[in-house]
Amino acid sequence: MIHALLWVCLLMQAQSAEPTMPPEALSLLQSGVDAENRRDLDQAIAAFRKAAELAPSSGIIFLRLGDAYMKKHDYAAAIAPLKRAAELSPDSLPVHQLLGFALLAEGYAAEAIPHLEIVHEYGALGIAQLQTDQPAEAVANLQAALAKSPGDPDLLYYLSRAGTALSSQSLDKLLSAFPDTARGHQALGQNYYALKMFPEAKKEYEQALALRPDLPGLRLELGQVYAAGSEWQKAEEQFRGETKLQPGNAEAAYRLGDALLQQGKMTEAAEELRRSDLLRPDMPETLYSLGRAETVSDPNAAEDALARVTQLEKETPLAAQAYLALAAIHRKQGKTEQAARETQEFRRIQALANRRLQTTP
Amino acid sequence: MHCWRRGGKDFGLPGVRKAKAGLLSLLCAVGLLAQEVKSKSEPVFQVSPLKGVDFVLRNSPTSRKYLIETMPGGVGLLDYNNDGLLDIFLVNGGLVRDPMRSPFSFDRHDPAYWNRLYRQNKDGTFTDVTEQAGLASAGDTNYGMGVAIGDYDNDGFPDIYVTNFGKNILYHNNGDGTFTDVTAKAGVAAGGWSVSAGFFDYDNDGKLDLFVTRYLDWRVETSKTCGAEKPTYCPPGVFPPVTNILYHNRGDGTFEDVSVSSGIAAKKGHGLGVAFADYDGDGYTDIFVSNDVTDQFLFHNNGNGTFTECGLDSGAALTDEGKMLSGMGVVFQDYDNDGLPDLVITQLPHQPYVIFHNDGQGSFSPRELEAGLGALSGKSSGWGVGLEDFDNDGWKDVFIIQGHVFDNVEIYDSSLHYREPPLLALNHKGHFERADPGSDMPVAGRGAAFGDLNNDGWVDVVTTSLGEHPQLYLNRGGKLHWLTITLRGKRSNRDGYGARVQVNGQVRFATATGSYLSSNDKRLHFGLGSAETADIEIKWPSGIHQVLQAVKADQFIVIEESVQP
Repeated sequence: MIHALLWVCLLMQAQSAEPTMPPEALSLLQSGVDAENRRDLDQAIAAFRKAAELAPSSGIIFLRLGDAYMKKHDYAAAIAPLKRAAELSPDSLPVHQLLGFALLAEGYAAEAIPHLEIVHEYGALGIAQLQTDQPAEAVANLQAALAKSPGDPDLLYYLSRAGTALSSQSLDKLLSAFPDTARGHQALGQNYYALKMFPEAKKEYEQALALRPDLPGLRLELGQVYAAGSEWQKAEEQFRGETKLQPGNAEAAYRLGDALLQQGKMTEAAEELRRSDLLRPDMPETLYSLGRAETVSDPNAAEDALARVTQLEKETPLAAQAYLALAAIHRKQGKTEQAARETQEFRRIQALANRRLQTTP
Repeated sequence: MHCWRRGGKDFGLPGVRKAKAGLLSLLCAVGLLAQEVKSKSEPVFQVSPLKGVDFVLRNSPTSRKYLIETMPGGVGLLDYNNDGLLDIFLVNGGLVRDPMRSPFSFDRHDPAYWNRLYRQNKDGTFTDVTEQAGLASAGDTNYGMGVAIGDYDNDGFPDIYVTNFGKNILYHNNGDGTFTDVTAKAGVAAGGWSVSAGFFDYDNDGKLDLFVTRYLDWRVETSKTCGAEKPTYCPPGVFPPVTNILYHNRGDGTFEDVSVSSGIAAKKGHGLGVAFADYDGDGYTDIFVSNDVTDQFLFHNNGNGTFTECGLDSGAALTDEGKMLSGMGVVFQDYDNDGLPDLVITQLPHQPYVIFHNDGQGSFSPRELEAGLGALSGKSSGWGVGLEDFDNDGWKDVFIIQGHVFDNVEIYDSSLHYREPPLLALNHKGHFERADPGSDMPVAGRGAAFGDLNNDGWVDVVTTSLGEHPQLYLNRGGKLHWLTITLRGKRSNRDGYGARVQVNGQVRFATATGSYLSSNDKRLHFGLGSAETADIEIKWPSGIHQVLQAVKADQFIVIEESVQP
């Protein structure tokens, strides 16, 4: 965590500001450093402790003692000498850095923050802020840390937690300050939907709609709640409402098309799905549903749509589905070899997906 | 192997295609007439308990959630004494202790857990004849599941095969109102967990063979409960899949297990339902097995004693999204009057009941959305299913008995229900629309058998539900015409199972098998709409082609297989 070269430089910087210490203390300090170099941390700690007794005003000795404890992962023991070092050498960056880490490791996040701020340790600072209910600040600092160390899994983990906490905090704020607003009910509806508590979600969305019937997105979300419960007629009503509010919204058109499809209204479904495809071309889900809608009425159009899915999607479940649907069309057309190839491709992708599933921890 | 055919060879009987154009206009007229006769709000059935039937389907639910306890039980409609009235055989579950301790017993000696045979009286009431018929008790180590009915020895009296978790039982009908357990002699005890079964003649030798579906490798000792905080029944994938069984009828009262040599045992699944039809018109009856969260099996009969499973290659294995079905009940009949048998399969909520439309040339494609059934099945769990023309308009309608697998499903998903009313969907020229079945009473439905109990020309339904008495859905009838045919095979099996019967263009495949755990009236019922006569064409399993013209409507007729091919 601490770059070795930087540490040596900082240590030298700290030592240069030290008052003169008794020769015995200096000897013990050297003895401790030698022991540390031999990786004999217990011996080093014993030497630094004796040196600290002989030179109680030496910040460097307390710093070395705290550092030795840190190296031994005894963060609790490290805190006291590091605090003393900070009193003696308030401008020492290594002292603040180590003290910040030690305090954070021992759960004193609030105390750690000022020390980590001094040394700009953004990652640790973000973690400390997350633990002290400052998710917005945590997100900012963790993002800054990630900019320096992209892809660091620990930082990504904490950033995701901070993001969740920030979202939750914002929601709490919204609900406590504006409980009976459309956005408040919408937020609750989203939460219930995520928890699969569909009746509660419906109630919240309906209240939101009563307050702001023309708020874009509400009907789209409510429609999805109905769709999750296979209530396709009600889903259709909501998606249709959304398409009136947002005629240019491709997702609304897609979802309306899919709800119509589920009810067997194939002509209407195909019309809406084609409209969605025009609004946002090359969406695999739209094309797949379009293929399903046109399978009976216009097999050639269905074939085109499904073939586009296989071009856009490679080795995904949707690609497998598209191959299976193509096989059905071609079987019916008597194109047996083509159908067999597509069924084989379906099997191959399915097997691949199963293997992936088995290897996923 | 030929799962499906190249080229466009026409299917079925000569004249079928030619008759279609004229038939279409006739059926259109019939459809209009039907709408006039029966308004949409009028219930199709009058629902009531069966008079004289005190049977309760005792499944014995426990806190241990033993999987068997949520799966029974079947109902069979048969005229066991040949008095012209349908009688009812009901399969019971058994006592499941909480917990079960070795040695395991389901207390089937206790009359409360007996299977029951009820003889129908002339006044429409029923009399319990279980004991005098020799059907009492069913083996303490057997937990009851389903029933198959067929005259396996061609003596003119229907025999009964009962499936169990345990050993299955074949009861031979002695013709004097009694039955004899001939399981040991016949060699059809199977073992493990048998579910739906059916008689059919796969080799067209005139003797009924037997197919038995088996669910999974479950034992009391290895039972599991799923759902840590809210214990419930485990999904089938938790238990190993098993093979189904095919028994060949030797004709001497014994059967040979040909599961391996026929290729049936080559596939392991989680079988629950079975239905038969000759889907590709090659003259041999094929087998469809509805599997629970496994690919569906379509066993194509190769005509040489072997079968090839070709569900996926035929398009009848998976949903149109490539997902596995939780297949439970199944029926294999022609819903859209194109002369080809289609499949209707029931399954769990949020998975639409599936229609695999027979596209010809041995190919199927999903059609439940186009046919309107998908939109009617969203939140329901379907079990027993029938494709019958309840309103006699010339189009086969769908009836499905429903209820979730979990008796505590509401705590998992408040929008789902353990007890549900049945689904009735009337067929309007190939498109299904919800209709009033006459009862919105929710039940944990399982079995359903279809037949004309009061011989009025209108198809009725008997259903079973866990922990309750069976229900009779007595068809209220109407003014349209009908024809009911009893086949009497000579060279073919006596029941005529496997015959393809076409009446005024509509087609039925003769079978008592289909639905879930249940066995239907073997008579073939046709709604004729406004037609007062019927032209009948029969293709018998023997290959004999028989034609009857201008047969008067509104009657029960017996057609004996002609001697001349």
